[in-house]
Amino acid sequence: MLESVSINALSSALAGLSARQTATANNIANINTPNYRAQTVSFESALAASVQAGSGVVAPRTGLSLEPTQLDGNNVNLDTEDITNANTVLQYKFASQAIGQELTSILPALNVN
Amino acid sequence: MSMNAIGIAGSGLDVNRQWLNAISDNIANMNTATATSGPAFQARYVVAQAGAGTSGVFVKGTALGDSAGIIKYDPSNPLADAEGNVRMPDIDLGSQMGQLIMAQRAYEANAKVVTDAQATYEAAIAIGKSN
Repeated sequence: MLESVSINALSSALAGLSARQTATANNIANINTPNYRAQTVSFESALAASVQAGSGVVAPRTGLSLEPTQLDGNNVNLDTEDITNANTVLQYKFASQAIGQELTSILPALNVN
Repeated sequence: MSMNAIGIAGSGLDVNRQWLNAISDNIANMNTATATSGPAFQARYVVAQAGAGTSGVFVKGTALGDSAGIIKYDPSNPLADAEGNVRMPDIDLGSQMGQLIMAQRAYEANAKVVTDAQATYEAAIAIGKSN
């Protein structure tokens, strides 16, 4: 039961969101670094496909942002990063609450408290 | 699962603070006259470089402004040479103020990342607590 699709999917989502937050933090730290290309993290579509296939385990994929570069070769868009970050925090809270409930619901079966 | 957003934002805070220090030093020395026999006060420019992968940002080094500066006629200055000239630094206040705003905004953005990352970590800590 600990290997259920929903727990796998939620922990994959948490890992992906955590990687996305790290990438966003890195992008914001490099907002003025010449020639820095913003990083993106994607996992949602792969996760959806994996859940359909009955697994729920996916690793997040890191890519480079396609935003246009500025004169100094940097393409970090602070607005995009800020929104991504706010979104990531909320999704992380949501997913962690869901996995918490999922785990609590199986505690009676294990007879622990 | 790596949880390093606070460390990365910390590196951004560090770089931007050093940049702010350089800018304030440049502005403070805008009117620092030197003798024409020596170099002018040179503005400092912080050169940032991205760390490999997601390891934040660090200060690669400092670039210095023009040492020739601007020759100014100021015979009352005790440093003036025989013709009454001193060397003034070639620092553009508008450019420095622009950089000041960029560095300040970037500092604030990194500080916000720290706050957001804390919220994420708190959510992670709460996993498994009965609700």
